[in-house]
Amino acid sequence: MGIDKVNNYKKVIAQLILLAIPTLIFVFFLLWRVNSFYSILQNDYLKQGLYFGIGAIVAIVFYSYRFRFTTTTVILFALNYFIYKLLGNITTGEFDAFYVSIQFLIFNILFSVGWLVGFGFSRSKYFTIGWSVLMLAVQIVVISKTSDFTVSRLISDIVPVLAYTFYIIYTAELIRNMNENEAKFTWFITKRLSGFAVIILLLFFMIFNLFKGDFKAVEKEWGGSSSAKGPKGQDGGNGDNNGGGESMTQKDKGGAVSNKDQSKLSGSLNKDKQLIFVAKLDNFFDDGRTPNPLYFTSCYYSKFDTATQTFETDINMPYNDLFSPDPSKIPLYFKKTDQSIIKKSLGVKNRKTVTAEIYNVNLSPNVYLAPSNAFYCQPISVPKEYKDQFRSAYSAKMWVSELNSAYFIYNPAGNRELERFQEQRFQKLREVKTIVGPDKAFMDYYTYMPVSEDYNKIKDLAINLTKDKEAPIDKILALRDYFLSKDEFDQPLFQYSDNPGIPGMPSANKLTYFLLENRKGYCAYFAGATLFMLRAIGIPSRVVAGFSVVDRSSKNPGWYWFYQDQAHAWVQVYFPEYGWIDFDTTVPDVNTQQAPQPDGTPPTDMPKTYLVVDGIIESVNEKTKSVTVKTDKLLFHDKDFGTSKPEELTMDVSLATISCDTGEVKIEALKKKMHITAASQAEIFKNILPGIYDNFDSVVTKLPKILPIDEIKILPDVDKQKQKEKKQMAQKEGINWKKVLLGLLFVILFLGMLVLFSPQFIWLWFNSKAKRENKMSAYWRYRASLYYLNQLGYKQEEMGPRQFSEKVDMQFSTNFLAFSNVYQKLKYSTDALSENETRTLNEFYTTFIKQVKSKTGFKTRFKKFFNLNNTIHYFTQPKIN
Amino acid sequence: MQEQTIQIEQALTNIKKLVDNIEKVIRGKRHQIEFVLTALLAKGHILMEDNPGTGKTVMAKTLAKSIAGENHGEANFKRIQFTPDLLPMDLIGSHIFDDVKKEFVFKKGPLFCNLLLADEINRASPKVQSALLECMAENQITMGETTYPLEKLFFTIATQNPVEMEGTYPLPAAQLDRFFIKIYFGYVDEVTELEIYKDYLGIQNNLTAIPQVLSMQEILFLQQETEKVHMHEEIIAAVRNIVRDTRKHPDIVLGASTRSGITFLKCLKAYALVNGRTYVTEDDLKNITSAVMDHRLIYRNKEGKQKALLQILTKELDRLSKLKITNN
Repeated sequence: MGIDKVNNYKKVIAQLILLAIPTLIFVFFLLWRVNSFYSILQNDYLKQGLYFGIGAIVAIVFYSYRFRFTTTTVILFALNYFIYKLLGNITTGEFDAFYVSIQFLIFNILFSVGWLVGFGFSRSKYFTIGWSVLMLAVQIVVISKTSDFTVSRLISDIVPVLAYTFYIIYTAELIRNMNENEAKFTWFITKRLSGFAVIILLLFFMIFNLFKGDFKAVEKEWGGSSSAKGPKGQDGGNGDNNGGGESMTQKDKGGAVSNKDQSKLSGSLNKDKQLIFVAKLDNFFDDGRTPNPLYFTSCYYSKFDTATQTFETDINMPYNDLFSPDPSKIPLYFKKTDQSIIKKSLGVKNRKTVTAEIYNVNLSPNVYLAPSNAFYCQPISVPKEYKDQFRSAYSAKMWVSELNSAYFIYNPAGNRELERFQEQRFQKLREVKTIVGPDKAFMDYYTYMPVSEDYNKIKDLAINLTKDKEAPIDKILALRDYFLSKDEFDQPLFQYSDNPGIPGMPSANKLTYFLLENRKGYCAYFAGATLFMLRAIGIPSRVVAGFSVVDRSSKNPGWYWFYQDQAHAWVQVYFPEYGWIDFDTTVPDVNTQQAPQPDGTPPTDMPKTYLVVDGIIESVNEKTKSVTVKTDKLLFHDKDFGTSKPEELTMDVSLATISCDTGEVKIEALKKKMHITAASQAEIFKNILPGIYDNFDSVVTKLPKILPIDEIKILPDVDKQKQKEKKQMAQKEGINWKKVLLGLLFVILFLGMLVLFSPQFIWLWFNSKAKRENKMSAYWRYRASLYYLNQLGYKQEEMGPRQFSEKVDMQFSTNFLAFSNVYQKLKYSTDALSENETRTLNEFYTTFIKQVKSKTGFKTRFKKFFNLNNTIHYFTQPKIN
Repeated sequence: MQEQTIQIEQALTNIKKLVDNIEKVIRGKRHQIEFVLTALLAKGHILMEDNPGTGKTVMAKTLAKSIAGENHGEANFKRIQFTPDLLPMDLIGSHIFDDVKKEFVFKKGPLFCNLLLADEINRASPKVQSALLECMAENQITMGETTYPLEKLFFTIATQNPVEMEGTYPLPAAQLDRFFIKIYFGYVDEVTELEIYKDYLGIQNNLTAIPQVLSMQEILFLQQETEKVHMHEEIIAAVRNIVRDTRKHPDIVLGASTRSGITFLKCLKAYALVNGRTYVTEDDLKNITSAVMDHRLIYRNKEGKQKALLQILTKELDRLSKLKITNN
């Protein structure tokens, strides 16, 4: 080999075993974690880690020879780029080839990173520090992605990275300082490393055990472990967040409620049969008996973020027709509406208003779920006998196209009758020849598709499938039929699978993989793939997350039970004048045929509520069980009355059930200044009817003096609300505080490391100063030499420069004395230096350090450089008592 | 200027020769020789303290023999053994009646010389000691109404026995202050001592055959040149710091005076010259401080005597060694 070596083989082996392999293991670990957060990586961490490792190992071996970094790296990158382009060109048009080039790109990137790391280990002094900091940062990012914040989890995440960081800096330093001719260095290093490992392990073990109790307490306080939360959890949605197969839907509900519990997504994919809610949907076909079910919408995924390759809910989407009030914030029986939803839904033809009553079982009280284009929400009381079954209830109204129906969108799966029924509707939609949106922005937004080879493949496929179809509906059906089609072996082309990989809305490359290769996935895959195919052929569409309905109408027509496994995702297509119409392409799950869910008894025969009073309690008489309320809002026979001058009304609450958001309470809980809503179903009001010209005052005069009340709902007090918010803020701050604590820990550890290595750093600084050629170089060389000697234990103490340098020269057979003399002359004399003296100044330093190094064993040197005492001694001024 | 440089270089080489010369006789005492010469060049005097028989007298003798006096003779060397019954007159001289001229003439005492060895100075009575004061300080003797100047080159080497010994009068502080440098002669190390025993004959021969390496003129010239030795501002500052620190140090009862600071500067310059340099360095400071300062200070206790000055010096050396190079 004609090229000189920088590092001898012992060093290379040490670097490979002691630096590269631990790094590899750590990177595997990190990649694995990152993979579970970024679906783009496709869960292929083993391969990725391997690429990285190859890069690192090759670079270490490569750079042990005297190669120039810049040149070789440029060549490497150029080569890689060339191969990448070549791959892309040679096999263009074929799906597999695309994959090869993508794979190569990933390989390339990871290999390059590995290469840089290898170079760093092999050559750079400071690299390990930067690398460690980077790893720490990445780990912190990964941790911040984890929403399931438990302390033990935190520790198990941080301990490895910290241990690694310490290890890598320490070891790199050790190897770098290793003298090439040092005998038995292996033994020495092994000894050192095992000692180091034992200390680190002991330390962490000790800390963990010592503070175990504290950790647990802290965890409890913060409610960090979401496992503690039962189906009753207040931040809601968590009950239904569990598994349910289509975990994507859980995510969106998480979005509607709080973004916590995302980690649950990755957890169980069990088919939980938990009942989420019960709904009565007042939507029947013309015969008035046959129920016409509708999917329940939770949110829309209309935007695709190309950077993260994820679908996003976008509240700024054009014609946002999602109505999402918080039912728990609306006083009982009062309603909240948003008429603009109707306008924004863009549907004008074949419309009707449908009402639904939703009885919440395990849904958060804050969540509003209804079929698309709901615009009305009215919390209603749960009948007494169902109180233990349902936590809350509300009534919803929506503006529904007659064409929209779960029957319409169900895959008919061979059901003739259904097919015939669907065909009628398709026929109507065939009248729409082209789909034109209300404006350009609308079309641009809902047909947006990112540009890349992945999407081009999807596009090609979509165009190919729909090329001989004219009407948009036929194109859509062609796409649906593609999903239902069979392959050459008469097997279904696409299969439903609950477990195709990481849950959540799949990314584009996952979709191409799903669409073209794997063909197995759950609803989100079908929805996502359909969305891009539709958009590819110019049909505005969006993904909807929510619940599919299962019609068990035989017993109670119009009543639907929603279980966790009904969480679903599908596509909505925009038809001019008809608005958004649900369209489902998910193939039936052949493996686990949905067992019919048990059907409960619906809360029927609801007594009619005649009067609702909303106001502030003025006084409570517990003896007579009467309450005086100052009210400015009344609901009488479903009519709203309001006033600017609040009136006092006295109510008899002896028969009333009183509840607040935490459950049923006794009359004692009613206090002055409380905001309550009181409802009455008393027959006495049945015959008092409000006239057309009645206003608030006239209604009040019509009412009896003491109003019999059946139900009282205490609304969250404004003050209390504020307190709660404060608490939440505090909680938020608590989380921040935790992070601060974490940060602090890092800072302390980092500082500790800095301190530990400070003699080394100072030496590097001195050395770099001393190596520069300038006016001050003599000074820095003198200082650096003194520092180096001092660190090795040769202290000047009270010796004069001459005496000290004589001693040093005796010890190391150097020519420190000559240098010292010249230096003194330079410093204290005005005489010019002779040529000889200048030469001494210039030539002294490097040879001196080399000489000292060769005379001191690397072990001693290494050890001595951790001696902070020496360093401190060097910089402290001697004191007079 | 050129000429002067050459002259200086010549003188410096001669000093080197002188040191080597003396070392032929006084083995293993290089530092002491340097100090003696320092005191000489600084126009001061030196006090050597030690037990008898350590070579103090030989030292003075050799030095005197190495210097060529006027008229190519040796330098005028006198030795006085101080005893308790010694009278000032024995030092200064006295008026004697001249029978021929019929008048009193002044008969010069041994003080009228170039090099005076005052042996066991602390054995003499304070009266005698004080007689020495004037001549050492002012280089002149006043006898009655007449003032007689001493030789241009007048250098006293005094020796004294350790104060604890019997029959000694401790020198008063004022007297001590006249001595620029006080050194301890000490015994030689075992190797050198063996050499001395082996070669005592040779040494004796050397003593008789000492060549003259420096002329009186040269010495006077060097004394002049001493003043011109370059002294960096920081070194002067260091001297100031040391002097001031001695006044503050808790273990020192009586600190150094300003006069001793000036003496210190003079000695530094001379010492640099003795070491063949025309500039003062940290080493000079390090080596000379104790010799110049120690006998001027009064310590609270023995430990203080051992540590205090060293502490002050170490602190100052540390400060100097960390200073960046400044051109002044």
